[in-house]
Amino acid sequence: MRLLDAELVETREILPRQWLQRYRAPWLAAGARAGQFVHVRTPDYSGLVLRRPISINTVDRVAGEITLHFRIAGKGTELLARARPGDTVPMLGPLGRPFEVDPRTHHVLLIAGGLGVAGVRFLVDESLEAGRQVTLLFGAATAGDVYPSTLLPDEVEYVVATEDGSLGQPGRVTDLLPAYEAWADQAFACGPYPMLSALASLAAGRQARLGVARLGRKRGTGRPVPPGSPQARRRSWLQVSMEQHMGCAVGACLGCVVWGVEGPLRVCREGPVFAAEEIAWEEPA
Amino acid sequence: MKRRRSIVTSGPRARSPYAGEPRLGLRAPRNRAGGVPGTPGAPETTAGTPAPGRAAGSGPSGYARVPGGAPSPVTGSNGMPVAGPVPGIAGAAVDLSVDLAPKRPGGLVLQNPVLVASGTFGYGIEYGEVVDVQRLGAICCKGTTLKPRAGNPPPRVTETPGGMLNSIGLQNPGVDAVIERYAPLWAGWQVPVLVNVAGESIDDYVGVAQRLDGVPGVAGIELNISCPNVGKGGLQFAVDRDAAAAVTAAVRRATDLPLLVKLSPNVTDIRPIARAIEDAGADAITAINTLSGIAIDRGTGRPLLGNVYGGLSGPAIRPVGLRIVYEVAQVVSIPVVAIGGISTLDDALDYLAAGAIAVQVGTAIFADPEVPLRLVDELRAYCAARGLSSHLPLVGTALPARPGRPSAKGVEYRP
Ligand SMILES: Cc1cc2nc3c(=O)[nH]c(=O)nc-3n(C[C@H](O)[C@H](O)[C@H](O)COP(=O)(O)OP(=O)(O)OC[C@H]3O[C@@H](n4cnc5c(N)ncnc54)[C@H](O)[C@@H]3O)c2cc1C
Ligand SMILES: Cc1cc2nc3c(=O)[nH]c(=O)nc-3n(C[C@H](O)[C@H](O)[C@H](O)COP(=O)(O)O)c2cc1C
Ligand code: FES
Repeated sequence: MRLLDAELVETREILPRQWLQRYRAPWLAAGARAGQFVHVRTPDYSGLVLRRPISINTVDRVAGEITLHFRIAGKGTELLARARPGDTVPMLGPLGRPFEVDPRTHHVLLIAGGLGVAGVRFLVDESLEAGRQVTLLFGAATAGDVYPSTLLPDEVEYVVATEDGSLGQPGRVTDLLPAYEAWADQAFACGPYPMLSALASLAAGRQARLGVARLGRKRGTGRPVPPGSPQARRRSWLQVSMEQHMGCAVGACLGCVVWGVEGPLRVCREGPVFAAEEIAWEEPA
Repeated sequence: MKRRRSIVTSGPRARSPYAGEPRLGLRAPRNRAGGVPGTPGAPETTAGTPAPGRAAGSGPSGYARVPGGAPSPVTGSNGMPVAGPVPGIAGAAVDLSVDLAPKRPGGLVLQNPVLVASGTFGYGIEYGEVVDVQRLGAICCKGTTLKPRAGNPPPRVTETPGGMLNSIGLQNPGVDAVIERYAPLWAGWQVPVLVNVAGESIDDYVGVAQRLDGVPGVAGIELNISCPNVGKGGLQFAVDRDAAAAVTAAVRRATDLPLLVKLSPNVTDIRPIARAIEDAGADAITAINTLSGIAIDRGTGRPLLGNVYGGLSGPAIRPVGLRIVYEVAQVVSIPVVAIGGISTLDDALDYLAAGAIAVQVGTAIFADPEVPLRLVDELRAYCAARGLSSHLPLVGTALPARPGRPSAKGVEYRP
């Protein structure tokens, strides 16, 4: 984690009100892992007292660059979208815990709802780099919101669902899951809370439906894995990246909690990536 | 029983940050020194105009521990010309130390007057990778209660115009866990850590204070009688003069630790409460805590925060904080530590002028974790540029020359 000034190199609107920005930030590019985020201070800062959490969308370790992909959701993202190449944007990062892929996983299933694609996009690259097969299930309300396939590597199987049926499968992205749950060794999801919640209940029933052993089940004399640890996550079939309003983003203010089965969890510190089983889905979030 | 405790804990205290250090000569300014408790006393001249010509050597000289930062520039941070500075007063020669418990044996001496506010800096470790915490004046840790608390349902924070609302609900692992997990760490730190204490009954407060008493690494207590988030918790004590005095007195009896009491702005007239707290034995007053507020989720038309109510902080509350510090500083003789929307040197200077001898930075840390240490450096440079060997001559310049004048009218809400 470091405070740094990232220089905006390129900015463009890839979809209506959705921006893709490329920043020069060697420290982030070198150290960040898929699932982590940065806490961004918007350039024209007058009046805004909080930074904005944004996922690290991709990194180019060689060029020392990262990209952010965000939707204009209010004042902060509006100001960020107005930044021009050459501007420096203060960032704090990389923050939070990354996705943990089991070394034995070959088939990686990514599930993204809308802007959630920014939360799993980096994992596409990481997984391909590690020689894994990647399928990305993407859901949006309508064709106009669908993430452009040109922004994905060719090796990815890209499956789209739209709620109005204007592109791909009609329906929700969660409807696509059953067709892939047997294929996938592990699944990683980012999107709105109801989507993650639905996925979590699907995942909970998966084992019974398929009759498969859970990945990494303790064999023989294996040491018990502490809950919430990276090892525990690595063994979870479904990992979710969650959102919550944030103050500090370093674990100091306890502002960003979601309710876990064992009590409050800080999205910025214990998350944003959680094993689906860690979250108490029926509680408010 | 209380007597026994105080015998056990009196004598040389293992308060590590100052163990074995010479006592500093510098004390808090006594704006109202000699005043009969409960009535404003006559102001001393320390609160008057700065003395730009004060010689370097005339300041307290025994203070050898210069915080290990880069030497500050001699020119003022705001570009003001250096008006006839006495040669030799460079940034490093400015002694920003303050004693927040001048009445207490041993006091509570901070190397500088910039603290980080409770609830915004965790337990001092969370920002460790990006802030040199040892250079801070002091750290006020997250509100600590007798038993662990899970806190309020999310969402707990949201931005508002010029500020933010929070409704954390005093999530904390309980005093025993705080002592076990963090105090050993704090004991090895140069920066003093004040434990912010909250409770729902006097017994709760006393219980926490007794457990903290004598724990190495705990430099003092900041009593949060004003957290507006927890229905039963803070509000009752902070708004009621007698309850505020009672809890202060009870904690005072339970511990020899320096005791700071933190005021709520959600009251009609702060002055009788502040006076009662001083009379009950507080060493210093910190003010202000957050203002009670709510936000609406426009999507659903319902309250946004899980707890409905939140506490407002940030620049939006600065004028309120200034007013309360200004009022409190006129009626108490103990040090006042200002909190509320501080993010720049100018903000801090305003609060000093209103009568605070030290400041706490809270919400501003979220946007820029470097604010507190920048304030230390800028205040040092500001003093150096004006030939001041300390920031104390800047304290209380806004206070009325004669006591009693604004007080007689009560709080002025007339537009
Ligand atoms: C770990 C994490 C990663 C994220 N990654 C991305 C990303 O890659 N792309 C993207 O478009 N968005 C992402 N978000 C959501 C993004 O933070 C919000 O859209 C953004 O903060 C909205 O700010 P605003 O000023 O435009 O909106 P406003 O509504 O004006 O914001 C008001 C306040 O609410 C907070 N807020 C509002 N919505 C959210 C939200 N969904 N999550 C957290 N805080 C919120 C803001 O930070 C701000 O403090 C992420 C959120 C988190 C927690
Ligand atoms: C997220 C958050 C948590 C807080 N928690 C506490 C607390 O536990 N105890 C307390 O006395 N004050 C708490 N406060 C109040 C601050 O210490 C401070 O009094 C207030 O925020 C005003 O200062 P500021 O405007 O600089 O933030 C909290 C404030 C915030 C923003
Ligand atoms: S945002 Fe402060 S603890 Fe997560």
